[in-house]
Amino acid sequence: MPTNSGAYGENDATDKKTTGTAGNETAADNTRSTGANGDAANANGADTAANLGTEANNTASTDETLNAHVKGGSSGNGGKPGNKKKGWIWAVVAVVVVVALIVAFVVVRSNQKASNTAAEGHKADSVTVGLKLAPTNLDIRNQSGSSLDQLLVGNVYEGLVARDSENKVVPGLAKSWEKSANGTSYTFHLNKGMTFSNGDKLDADDVAWSINELMTKHYHDSESLMNFKSVTATDADTVKLDLTAPYDNLLWVLACRPGLVFDKDANYDMKTQAVGSGPYTVAKFVPDDSITLKANPRYWGAHKAKTATIVLRYFADDNAAVNALKSGDVQVLAPVTENLAAPFVKDSAHYRVAAGDDTDKYVLAMNSKGAKTSDVRVRQAIRYAIDHKQLIASRGGADKPLGGPIPSLDPGYEDLTGLYPHNVAKAKALMKEAGYTPDHPLELRLTYANTYGTELGDQLRSQLKPIGIDLKVDVVEFSTWLQDVLKNKDYDLSLVDHNESHDFSQWVNDEYYYNYSNQKVKDYYNQAMAASSDSQRDALLAKAARVVSEDAPADWLFNYRITTAMKTGVSGFPLNLNQTLLPLYNVTYRTSVK
Amino acid sequence: MTRNNEHSASETVRTNNAPANMGTKASSKFTVVLRSIWRRGEGKFALIVLALWLAVSLLSLVWTPKSLWATDGYHVWAKPSAAHWLGTDGTGADVFSWLMAGARTNLFIAVLAVVFAGALGILLMSAMVSRSSALSNVSVVAVDALISIPTVLIALILAVPMGASVVVIIIACGIGYGLNLARIARPQALLAANSDYVASALSYGASGFSVIWHHILPNAMPTIMVQLSLSAGTAVLAESGLTYLGVGVPSGVPSWGHSLATSVKFINVYPLTVLWPGLIVTIVVVALNVFGDVLRDVIDPVTNPELREV
Amino acid sequence: MRFVIRRFLLFVAALLAISVVIFAALRILPGDVASVMAGLNAPPERVAQLRSQMGLDRPLTVQYFSWMGGLLHGDFGTSLLTGRSISSTVAMRASVTFPLIVLGLVVALAIGLTLGVVSTLSTHAAVRSVFHFVAIVGGAIPALWGGLLLILLFGRGTGLLGILPSQGFPEAGWDNFGSALTSLVLPALTVGIIDGASLMRYTRSALGEVMNSGYMDQAMACGYTRRQAALKVGLRLATPQLVSVVGLMFAGMITGVMVIENLFALPGIGAGLVTDLGNRDLIAVQSELFMLAAFFLFVGFLVDLLHRFLDPRLKHAVQGGAQ
Repeated sequence: MPTNSGAYGENDATDKKTTGTAGNETAADNTRSTGANGDAANANGADTAANLGTEANNTASTDETLNAHVKGGSSGNGGKPGNKKKGWIWAVVAVVVVVALIVAFVVVRSNQKASNTAAEGHKADSVTVGLKLAPTNLDIRNQSGSSLDQLLVGNVYEGLVARDSENKVVPGLAKSWEKSANGTSYTFHLNKGMTFSNGDKLDADDVAWSINELMTKHYHDSESLMNFKSVTATDADTVKLDLTAPYDNLLWVLACRPGLVFDKDANYDMKTQAVGSGPYTVAKFVPDDSITLKANPRYWGAHKAKTATIVLRYFADDNAAVNALKSGDVQVLAPVTENLAAPFVKDSAHYRVAAGDDTDKYVLAMNSKGAKTSDVRVRQAIRYAIDHKQLIASRGGADKPLGGPIPSLDPGYEDLTGLYPHNVAKAKALMKEAGYTPDHPLELRLTYANTYGTELGDQLRSQLKPIGIDLKVDVVEFSTWLQDVLKNKDYDLSLVDHNESHDFSQWVNDEYYYNYSNQKVKDYYNQAMAASSDSQRDALLAKAARVVSEDAPADWLFNYRITTAMKTGVSGFPLNLNQTLLPLYNVTYRTSVK
Repeated sequence: MTRNNEHSASETVRTNNAPANMGTKASSKFTVVLRSIWRRGEGKFALIVLALWLAVSLLSLVWTPKSLWATDGYHVWAKPSAAHWLGTDGTGADVFSWLMAGARTNLFIAVLAVVFAGALGILLMSAMVSRSSALSNVSVVAVDALISIPTVLIALILAVPMGASVVVIIIACGIGYGLNLARIARPQALLAANSDYVASALSYGASGFSVIWHHILPNAMPTIMVQLSLSAGTAVLAESGLTYLGVGVPSGVPSWGHSLATSVKFINVYPLTVLWPGLIVTIVVVALNVFGDVLRDVIDPVTNPELREV
Repeated sequence: MRFVIRRFLLFVAALLAISVVIFAALRILPGDVASVMAGLNAPPERVAQLRSQMGLDRPLTVQYFSWMGGLLHGDFGTSLLTGRSISSTVAMRASVTFPLIVLGLVVALAIGLTLGVVSTLSTHAAVRSVFHFVAIVGGAIPALWGGLLLILLFGRGTGLLGILPSQGFPEAGWDNFGSALTSLVLPALTVGIIDGASLMRYTRSALGEVMNSGYMDQAMACGYTRRQAALKVGLRLATPQLVSVVGLMFAGMITGVMVIENLFALPGIGAGLVTDLGNRDLIAVQSELFMLAAFFLFVGFLVDLLHRFLDPRLKHAVQGGAQ
């Protein structure tokens, strides 16, 4: 026996093919299944423990050496393995029971707690808001994405000027301003006694420094501050900004990121912290999950926080968001998918559901220089073929039809939905003229990011089919879309939600992915930017927008309107524009006493 | 001990090994196996479900109750009715028709994933039992290292350059199951590779390829077949998971995973729609697993006396 | 011992190979973190500027070695996007995923072992076939669907018996122990039931195999009843195999729960990986993938060792050899 097992052990450990037996070699050679002879086959793959059962039995049962060991173990050691075995099972059972008890206890308790808090009635110290798109970091100077504007602008950082819920420019850090007669010089008069949340004073030097940094380091959105020449602090409360040429959009741009004022003396990691002058400070930031805002005790202005703590929670999953509102984990949800909001609409005693206006444009861009879409008849046919009303109905009905590049909250808006009304016959005729019929369809590829869901692609495919377009839909990651469409302009059709405001300049930029270029549009736009009055500017922009829409470089599927659902008792939560601009200082939650 | 092992090894090799007239006997073997499966209660269930799956897949190519692209934005998420047997989805299209059409995509994925896994598995298995010790050592190490990387991870990485695509599922599943297969079939193959038959074949100058084809493969085949039928079930499950994660079946291609993933989004309001695709997947996977189990019993000449008569 | 060393060297070699594969594979991807950061309206110059700021324009070999250099010092790098150290991010996500997996395993073991043993030992054909049915169906349920069914049954707000939170993880994390635990109950049940069904199959086949072997005859010859023999000797002999299965199951769950994490909106490792990949945060993704791969390999390594030392036959054989 000793010699036998000795040979066995060596063979197993050294992997040398010393014995000629097939079974032994199997065991020795296989690194993971180092069981005894017959065992090798079945211990091997986790998936097929039983596969080779017959093999194993043949060899194992006749292996005297091993049998002798087992026998020795069970009789000689006086049942020791048996005890061990029992202990093992009991341990498992005990763990299971304990875990089950803890879980049961906690479940019962948390359910009790949930019902307790609902009964109280007072102004809450803390309000939790459910949102959708989470910022990955807090570096508002470098990181793109409306979630950062939504979170930080007006809450943590403040701009030289601000904008209201109607998208109009209102005073911010500057209480007033003047424009020179030729429109190239602006003088801003700042509020007095302003401080940052770290206690530093905020004065004209910080303003000038912030804008100069923006322009020299080309931070995000710096390109929207066009015709920039210089910015200087003439005294502690006055800032002078000079342009090379008039730029009508300037004030609005300064209400967004380019106008934000940072503390020039503070040194902090902008990706994870924020030092601003707004009514709130960032107390805690968990990427992709939540942000806790606390009222800024050093806040200087009129927008003092009414609720001490506001937690913003991000839900990538719509169901999770809805459940969070239902269970009371959040008190406000923006946006809520309309089709999912039905239960809240019904329960009007406890919830309020409302839609706000926004500048989100679902743009179905049609590559104006694409091999197949450069034919204007094809593009026009697509616009006639799309049934916008049906698209909107399927999404719940809150969205607005949009016939051109400018939404109702932006200057120059005009209802252009009459330009291309839904008309399948006309679409078919245009396609036939271009040489395509349902029997000989034109194959087009629609590329869009997976964040918009698969439904829109499916619907467009089915709506374009009868006019002779075979639409292939590519739903890709956003980063892939950025590469293929935005950067390489390699696409036929693309769909993206352009939620920016005042973004008409996209249509005068030859380099933009639309591949659209029309001198007439550029002329109108440039005149509008140099216009002497707002009404003149609006009229010129409206003209430009009409030309763009007529040229059909894109179809505007709809103007997305954000639906917000909240508990009754929540007040001060903005409905308009709340995905890009969400001032929270006014938000309160008062539970009603029953 | 040594004597016994040699005995059992050569016995297995002998019973399974029929190099000379494998081709002519293959078809009759096949019918015997099928008949044996049919005779068992659960085998009957598996065969019926699988046959139905094939039939519906073929039928869906020429006919579905409603066109897949008959969307209707005014009647989304409709309840089951005479017009729409299982209701409509988020675009107003007929759920039943999409499920029918999904059958063919899932069949396609399962078959190709299994073919790919089989090819890869057999290739790796051959490498692992190769006479060249360098090749066999390297392949054993490679398989051991790679097998712990999960299929989902492979799919996620593949999907980045390729986008969501049926190919991603097939390759990811193929790699994962192929590695598994190689590892599971290896002991059988080793057993055969070390048999006297192979030794004598080699001494007569048989090539490595012919040894694998005539001696090793026939011995490992039962194990491979069983493993592949189980893999087919796993592939159907993987499809639903990967499609939900957005790296599987692309938009516009009907599949059960697609139906499941789109209905998930509205489970709060329309919980019923989520039932059907999951139910179908479960039934089909049960059938495939049962098929594998039954196949294991009937494909082995030791436990199925009928096979020995062929 | 030589086996341990050999196996360890294999482990290290595989790690190195995998680091190269991961690094190379990720560089083929279209799109980069700079363009994601720059967004929709940025001019190309801005993207180029961000790229050079982040060091993305350095030669690939330089990037690889600086990454590897960090790894050797235990530094997994800093995410270009979030500005946080990757190890702390992963640790935070792991504090969701690991408890979930452990709870899931507990459920799986409770179901799989008990039912597996009972169904093997049962003398009633009916009981055996019912259990067989349960195992087969349980293993065939898509995880996504299983989770949905549980939500429909127990989810607060949705379910028939709305007693458990169905989605999300408390914002305070484990500081809020009660809600953290309850939010893991449904996901753990989903994982546990499905894996429990397959564990039950393994238990049955492993135990069944031992039951048919000569060991049982011998045990019974020593005076044990069939049941005693099964519990005292059989289970012991089946343990190594089950440890392998459970070990691999544990490793597989980390990514296996990816779907579950997404469905239940849990901020775990799997869900995080998908996000980072989408953002093209390659430094984060490569370190995370590397950690996962290292973990899988390490579990494989451990399982081998455990398997070796747990198998009574093998242990005795080795001891015999040492005499």
